[in-house]
Amino acid sequence: MSNSQSPDSSVPVKQKKKRNKTLHSSGLPIPIPMSTLLHSYTPPSVSLRLRPRRSRYLRPLRFQFGRMGNSMVRAQAATEVTEAATSEGLKKGIAEFYDESSGVWESVWGDHMHHGFYEPDTAASLSDHRPAQIRMIEEALSFAGVSDDPMKKPKTIVDVGCGIGGSSRYLAKKYGAQCRGITLSPIQAQRAQELAAAEGLADKVSFQVADALQQPFPDGEFDLVWSMESGEHMPDKMKFVSELARVAAPGATIIIVTWCHRDLSPSEDSLKPDEIALLNKICDAYYLPAWCSASDYVNIAKSLSLENIKTADWSDNVAPFWPAVIRSAFTWQGFTSLLRSGWKTIRGALVMPLMIEGYKKNLIKFAVITCTKPN
Amino acid sequence: MRLLTHNMLSCNIKGVTNGFPLKLEADKWVTKEVDLNADFLRGIFPKIEWSALLAAARALGFAELPEQADASMLSSDDFLRRFHHALLELHVEEGALVCPETGRKFPINKGIPNMLLHEDEV
Repeated sequence: MSNSQSPDSSVPVKQKKKRNKTLHSSGLPIPIPMSTLLHSYTPPSVSLRLRPRRSRYLRPLRFQFGRMGNSMVRAQAATEVTEAATSEGLKKGIAEFYDESSGVWESVWGDHMHHGFYEPDTAASLSDHRPAQIRMIEEALSFAGVSDDPMKKPKTIVDVGCGIGGSSRYLAKKYGAQCRGITLSPIQAQRAQELAAAEGLADKVSFQVADALQQPFPDGEFDLVWSMESGEHMPDKMKFVSELARVAAPGATIIIVTWCHRDLSPSEDSLKPDEIALLNKICDAYYLPAWCSASDYVNIAKSLSLENIKTADWSDNVAPFWPAVIRSAFTWQGFTSLLRSGWKTIRGALVMPLMIEGYKKNLIKFAVITCTKPN
Repeated sequence: MRLLTHNMLSCNIKGVTNGFPLKLEADKWVTKEVDLNADFLRGIFPKIEWSALLAAARALGFAELPEQADASMLSSDDFLRRFHHALLELHVEEGALVCPETGRKFPINKGIPNMLLHEDEV
């Protein structure tokens, strides 16, 4: 994307809109990477001239950044908006992807659909991974400072983007808490409920098919708001974090563990073209909307007046994970499971080396962001 | 879906100010016995919207909950048993949750409510 300072801020770039689907169903426009917006704060006269390429970073957009309302960036592209980029298309894609691939993942990797946490520079064997996935949960709780104390531990928990409920069941057991999980995938919700029943947790955890951007819960419902590797699916990061904040009770802890792209340096307005190209390929296969950086999340949390905001880069701690996943795809069980699954799953598997490439280039980051809701 | 879950679900359609409680329409429900945990019941009681629980239980044909409830009743074993039964042992397998303001129905299939909104409701 190239930037041009237009002397006259009221002259719009020509826009070709083929379908009226340039707005996210929330009424907000489909976002381009948050980083490009956040670094465009001050000059309202910036107009972005965009190359007409099919890329999810090039979308017509007018963005108003929450309470910092004066940062309007008008970026208009001469590209046709593809179905995947619309909210409904994305949600459908995500639901279908997980409906199709959950079983494969579970059979090879178990019920935690997230990265393991490893000591940096270790070569991990297959038997290390389940403990590493548990360790990921514990490290996130510890980083956030969630208390084990019976008086202070969470009693109600929401697992946003719960997969087949691995985190929900673990947290419910750990704290003796009630946990609600939400997912776009009916098959995952069903499987999550079955596993809960099988573990004797049916009275502690329940699962709903729901949208993280429109959580079906009243305000202030939960002591712990948990999002483990689901943030990357959210097309509107501001709305996503707003909902997390809304359903959080006063004093509650919010924990987000997610894939991000690297922070932009002060002189950058966007990622480099080759970086964008790499992320786009990954996005298509995993039904991901545009990426943002960990700093973007921090800024959103600040804008929502959330407190005790902390973030860390755990990229080195997850490095063994993707190679291990790839190796598992080449085991007999992995391979046959993939063949039995479907195109979406296979495509997801084929794109795994791109994740490794992204990490190696320090483009993709694995980040934890935690904060608390004011009392 | 147990009534404990029903008690914390609300309709979030854009513009709706009164999306709680959702009215329960059950086509198929079952009773699944669960051990009674008095401490849990006493702990969760303050978070329960009683009138919502009352209405939902009635929709499932369970009319043994008192019209009003307060914390003093938690010392009664009889009350705890009824509370426990309504909250945790009644499972709606098929049916719908209805928004009190718009009448929109959210389906419940195989015990799982689907709270996804349509594009025009957001």
